[in-house]
Amino acid sequence: MEEIDSEYLILTIALWFGFYAIVVLSLNIEYGYGGIPNFGRALAVLMGGVAVGGLINRILINIFNVTDGIIEASGTVKSIINSIIVKNPILGIIILLSSLGLAAILGWIVGALFILPSARLSEDYLAITLLAISEVTYLVLYYNVDIIGGYYGVSIPDVLAFIPGTKRIFVFTGILILIVFGCYIFIEKLLNSPYGRVLKAMRENELVAKAYGKNVMMLRVKTVALGSSIASLAGALYSFYSVNVITTSFSRVEWTFYPILMLILGGAGNNVGALLGAFTFVLTKVLLITYKFEITSILHLPFQAVWLEYILFGVVMLLILLFKPEGLIKEKPVFTKAVKKVVKTKQKQK
Amino acid sequence: MAVVEGAIIYSNLLVLLSIGLTITYITTGVPNFAQGSFAIFGSYTSLSFLYFLGIHPYYSLPISLIFGGFLGLIVYVSVLKPLIAREAKVVILMIATLAVDLILLGAIGAYSDYLSITTKKAAKKFIFTPYDFNLIGFPAIFIVSLITIVFMLLFLFLLLYKTKFGIALRASMENPALAETMGINIEYTRLFSWILSGALASVAGSLLPFRQEIVPATGAIIIVSIFASSIVGGLTSIYGALIGGYIIGISESLITFSLSSILGSGVLVYAKVVSLIMLVLTLIFIPKGVTSIKWRRLTRST
Repeated sequence: MEEIDSEYLILTIALWFGFYAIVVLSLNIEYGYGGIPNFGRALAVLMGGVAVGGLINRILINIFNVTDGIIEASGTVKSIINSIIVKNPILGIIILLSSLGLAAILGWIVGALFILPSARLSEDYLAITLLAISEVTYLVLYYNVDIIGGYYGVSIPDVLAFIPGTKRIFVFTGILILIVFGCYIFIEKLLNSPYGRVLKAMRENELVAKAYGKNVMMLRVKTVALGSSIASLAGALYSFYSVNVITTSFSRVEWTFYPILMLILGGAGNNVGALLGAFTFVLTKVLLITYKFEITSILHLPFQAVWLEYILFGVVMLLILLFKPEGLIKEKPVFTKAVKKVVKTKQKQK
Repeated sequence: MAVVEGAIIYSNLLVLLSIGLTITYITTGVPNFAQGSFAIFGSYTSLSFLYFLGIHPYYSLPISLIFGGFLGLIVYVSVLKPLIAREAKVVILMIATLAVDLILLGAIGAYSDYLSITTKKAAKKFIFTPYDFNLIGFPAIFIVSLITIVFMLLFLFLLLYKTKFGIALRASMENPALAETMGINIEYTRLFSWILSGALASVAGSLLPFRQEIVPATGAIIIVSIFASSIVGGLTSIYGALIGGYIIGISESLITFSLSSILGSGVLVYAKVVSLIMLVLTLIFIPKGVTSIKWRRLTRST
């Protein structure tokens, strides 16, 4: 057996943790705090891909007056842009920041539109509707080659082209983890506020929240828009990691079901739990994939080890739901400023 | 004509699948996201009997029925029953069926590998059309799927309206709490509905390879149409599943086919989008489905 490069292994885990952490944190706002069963999370991540592959690409194509359809033109633009970025790093940074901004905006808009028609439905119908809308969009983008290249996909610039090849992935991973940290801080502050308390009220008993004058429908729309906005960042970053955008990268298993599993594993309603869930899942998945041949031969499996992935994760999900429904880390009370004051006061009195 | 036949065959299978989904929703309150994989479990059951024992898929339907019922039983007893006992929310139950779907996907995939290795025949991807034949001028799959539907409807009618258990079943579907106070054991009705759902899905799955290619992940593809069928018809009515199955099945085939005559063959790939859009529109405008519409009132006002 050849030695697995431990550096590469750690890097892979960090990368996937980064992408999934952002998505799981966004899902925690909606489902963990707000009780909104967003079974269409993959749509928002896909919008991140669309922002980069569909919108940024078109802007660049127009700027450089490239002819041809989106698929061929994106390849041409990629070559032009990459050669410029090598000498002018600032352009790469501008494209990266613009893409993230555009992804967040597109995610917000699509997220709001996405839930708006069904924001009044009960949770089971709501979950199915969101899943269905997500699937419609996915299929249309898969079959229609004029938006982001359909089943062919489109090329996008490598925004870190100015960094030597062997170091580029490390810098990218660093940026990714930095963004994860930023999202965590932002979300933690956002949810330890009256807004967070309202979300939990809505989750626990919608009727009571309504009785206290909260507009539940608008709350849902705003919350899903926010969650989608954040999840779109993951889609955009994933696209830059791939240096390519193709619809099949954004399937519902990878970007809706797995994040739900991670959230439940780590602990819904707790941001640290969400991150721990993402890390545990990614660690397991990467190790399974990396050592799949060893696993197959050691266990004498009469099938490919990759199928173990689904069985294992499905079983883990059930075990959590049955025996530890609160997840690895329980949720905590919402610490708004007022609550913190009271807590500190009582501590001083002791 | 072949297109219409194909549409009817597909609709027949969708009806079997959506009735199962609707029944489990009514008795347990949870839409089963693993319904598609239940069907593919049936597909591989028939494939196994074909490869190992040389039994034609049409003759292994009863076996598929039994295996599928057993699968439904296992899923209910090991997953849903304990969760319901813990008073889990609907979303948790839905996520549990997602987990079951993942497990089935992995298990079916692993089994397909094993089957390929053991029999040296195609198992990761297969189809039954070469084994079909003509009957009274029609493909046998057309006749068999229609007969299956008729038998299933007859069975359900006799059960639900002519037996004490059926009356108890309907009572617990209408109002579980009240039925329980009247002495009906709703536990048995839930168990029965999951066995029935698994059985019907498995039979549909055994027939599906006569219409389309099967891979382990096919369940994830057809679940979309199954949900569309149940919801368009009305998730709270068994008749709804019947009506919805034909609406979606025929629409998916014929609407797409009609559009392709106008817009070109590029439209054909959007068949699944048609059913999804119908699903979304139904959920938005008439979330209880077509069976919830007061048709008489509409007639009078005209």
